[in-house]
Amino acid sequence: MRTPPGALLVPLLLAVAACGSTTASSTATGAKPVDGGTLTYAVNTEPTTCLDPHQSPADVAGLFTRPALDSLVALAADGTIHPWLATSWTVSKDLQTYTFTLRTDVRFSDGTAFDANAVKANLDHIAAPATKSQLAVGVLGPYTGTTVVNDHTAEVHFARPYSAFLAGLATAYFGIESPASLKQPEATLCSTKVIGSGPFIIDSYGVGQGISFHRNPAYHWGPQTAAHTGPAHLEKLTIKLVQEDSVRLGGLESGQFDAIASVPPVSVATVKANPQLNVLTRQAPGGNYNYYPNTTRGPFADVRVRKAFRDGIDFKTIIDRLYFGVFQPAKGALSPATTGYDHTVETQWSYNQAEANQLLDQAGYTTKDAAGYRTRNGQRLTVTWNFFKAGAREQRDTLATQIQAAAKQIGIDVEFGATGTVGQFLAAFVKGDYDLADTSWQREDADSLRTLFATGSIPTPAKFGINVARYSNPEVDAWLEQALAVTDPAAKAALYAKVQQRVNDDAIVFPVYVFNYVLGEQRKVHGIGWEPQAYPLFYDAWLAK
Amino acid sequence: MKRLALSAGVLWGAVTVAFIALHLAPGKVVDLIIGNSPGVTPAVRQQIIKDYGLDRPLLVQYVSYLEHVLRGDLGHSYRLQIPVSRAIGDALPATLALTFTAIGLALIFALVVAVLTAHRRPWLRGLFSTAETIGVSIPTFWFGILLLTVFSFTLHLAPAAGGLVLPAIALAVAPAGMLTQVLRDGLENALDEPFIVTARSRGLGDFAVRLRHGLRHALLPAITLTGWLIGLTLGSAVVVEQVFSRPGLGQLALGAVTGKDMPVVMGVVLVVALVYVIASTVVDLLYRVVDPRLRTEAPS
Repeated sequence: MRTPPGALLVPLLLAVAACGSTTASSTATGAKPVDGGTLTYAVNTEPTTCLDPHQSPADVAGLFTRPALDSLVALAADGTIHPWLATSWTVSKDLQTYTFTLRTDVRFSDGTAFDANAVKANLDHIAAPATKSQLAVGVLGPYTGTTVVNDHTAEVHFARPYSAFLAGLATAYFGIESPASLKQPEATLCSTKVIGSGPFIIDSYGVGQGISFHRNPAYHWGPQTAAHTGPAHLEKLTIKLVQEDSVRLGGLESGQFDAIASVPPVSVATVKANPQLNVLTRQAPGGNYNYYPNTTRGPFADVRVRKAFRDGIDFKTIIDRLYFGVFQPAKGALSPATTGYDHTVETQWSYNQAEANQLLDQAGYTTKDAAGYRTRNGQRLTVTWNFFKAGAREQRDTLATQIQAAAKQIGIDVEFGATGTVGQFLAAFVKGDYDLADTSWQREDADSLRTLFATGSIPTPAKFGINVARYSNPEVDAWLEQALAVTDPAAKAALYAKVQQRVNDDAIVFPVYVFNYVLGEQRKVHGIGWEPQAYPLFYDAWLAK
Repeated sequence: MKRLALSAGVLWGAVTVAFIALHLAPGKVVDLIIGNSPGVTPAVRQQIIKDYGLDRPLLVQYVSYLEHVLRGDLGHSYRLQIPVSRAIGDALPATLALTFTAIGLALIFALVVAVLTAHRRPWLRGLFSTAETIGVSIPTFWFGILLLTVFSFTLHLAPAAGGLVLPAIALAVAPAGMLTQVLRDGLENALDEPFIVTARSRGLGDFAVRLRHGLRHALLPAITLTGWLIGLTLGSAVVVEQVFSRPGLGQLALGAVTGKDMPVVMGVVLVVALVYVIASTVVDLLYRVVDPRLRTEAPS
């Protein structure tokens, strides 16, 4: 039996579910869209604790609310920003003030009008300590406030240059909710329908019961990135929670579901072979699912041991066999789908067991004990892995066991820490009580490198962070800060490229796999699009008769 | 009256055990109450300490807890951000519908099969007896998937998610097996009793003998078993709800345990205890209906 999603809603793990940007959008279009019908989409996780994407720690809250919420701007697959509720915007030279000109014809589904006050109410809501925002507030960066210049002009201010703002603003976590609904207590907002101006209006929502929508007939303010304008094609949209993989799959194959999330890798070939069905995959942007060595203690404080672990284990073969090619082996910290991804990382290192053994010899682990593990001065080469088995998805626990076996071949003893419960896991995590840890971190742009490698992101009991390697390099910190203060995409990419190459040079990351969102659909389904974070979009979707 | 006092005693015991468990568990109680809920600020934490009176002596806390429970106030789930009573109230009807449909199906099956097969030809009796044993030992999870594959994915007779009939059948299989065995044994014993010969000698047909005379005796142990099976089925509902994507008490409890949501866990314990108490009360009352000998005792 699998763990319910509720167990996974710890900030560290929430990055894992989303996904990115390689393949086809829905079934080849060209045919004329048909209006009407209900699309039923079966998913494997739900935002157990909170539906409101401003507050929720679950990134799947973005999937559940996107149909009902619009954003100020839209992010295209190529990383460019396009108008949505904002028709245009300007950014001050110091990158600290963003001025948005807003549409004047937008209404929320509760009848109230969208204006600059609504923008202020939403951004302030995310920033307010009472909201206890888990995901969105991190993307809001050094936000200081919003000024309502007039009804349709809003100025957003930051304490420091913040060039990553627009990409974050395009996500569902910055979906604009009706200011009237934001006045409800936070807890109420979590457990009731979210009210926005989106192409769909929520009919019902409940934990374990999924969410259902009907189309907003007045909608004519879709994002510029969409394929059509006007109301959504679908009459109704139902998202059902079906946690069992085999049941989701059976429901798709028997035509009860029009589309399903997370086709198990082992079944992808079967679904593809079915003439009624189609598989869409989308690479997730941001940090891959990677392993990170604790660079501040133990064997991994030595770069030679780190390199030996990365190069001495045949990650590629293990991943190809386990995931049947559905998830690609990673070569660096970031997914290729990330704006600012640097291809250089792909040739920086490769599997070489002989060299790994030499590196371990050089590091002084020249002898072996009876069990076959390397030793130095009588001490076994053991690394403790802070692995949270109960939260493992996508067979990450199986993968971990196989990596453990592969590490033994080069004489490294991988032990799993006593991290059975979330509490134990997090306690060890914030204290740095581990040699190895694993995580993924989905973000739409390369600023996720700051979350993963900046000194300020090292987790401590006082402050949560995701710099799992506990890496602290002033030079890297400086590059990451500089990147926030430049707007020229090329200059920005150059800085992020330096960081990506440096963390590979220093073996700060053991790249594992690139996560793909794998969606199965009936052939009659057309026009499913993708969010920046690789969640499906249903605004353009339609069902052939 | 005695019955009522006993029921109250059982519930009081459940409340007390839940309270003791909460306070004996390692770590601060306030942290157990908050569980893994993200983003609870120090101010909120203080508020919780105040609301639950965690700064007061243990005995005062206990009395106040009893008081709250009596008023139907089971606390607040910081994970789900709603009162526990609402979380349970939302989940309970679906689970009760599932459990009682399953028990109903099991009873009907057991009655029909036991009456038809007791003391019948060895091959017929053997066939059903084997089926019942398989039914008892079949893994609910696997059987649920099998039912879905046949009736939903292949024959399209039932929905893949939600629905009541398939999950109820999956849940009914084990209780049906057990009930049939017990009922048939009881029936066979009764049919060997001298009063059956008397009844037959009065010219009663075989079915009438079985239904009117045999079954009444055989029912007593089956009724006791049913009371116990209701509890068991509530437990198995966790698995069935998972396989059939039915929201309910099982999913709620599972989420609460993994999310360390103590107020919900305690609430579920109390509600399950309550269902047990009600079931065993009903069992007692049924005893009186079925067995006239008990009615001679002065009503208490």
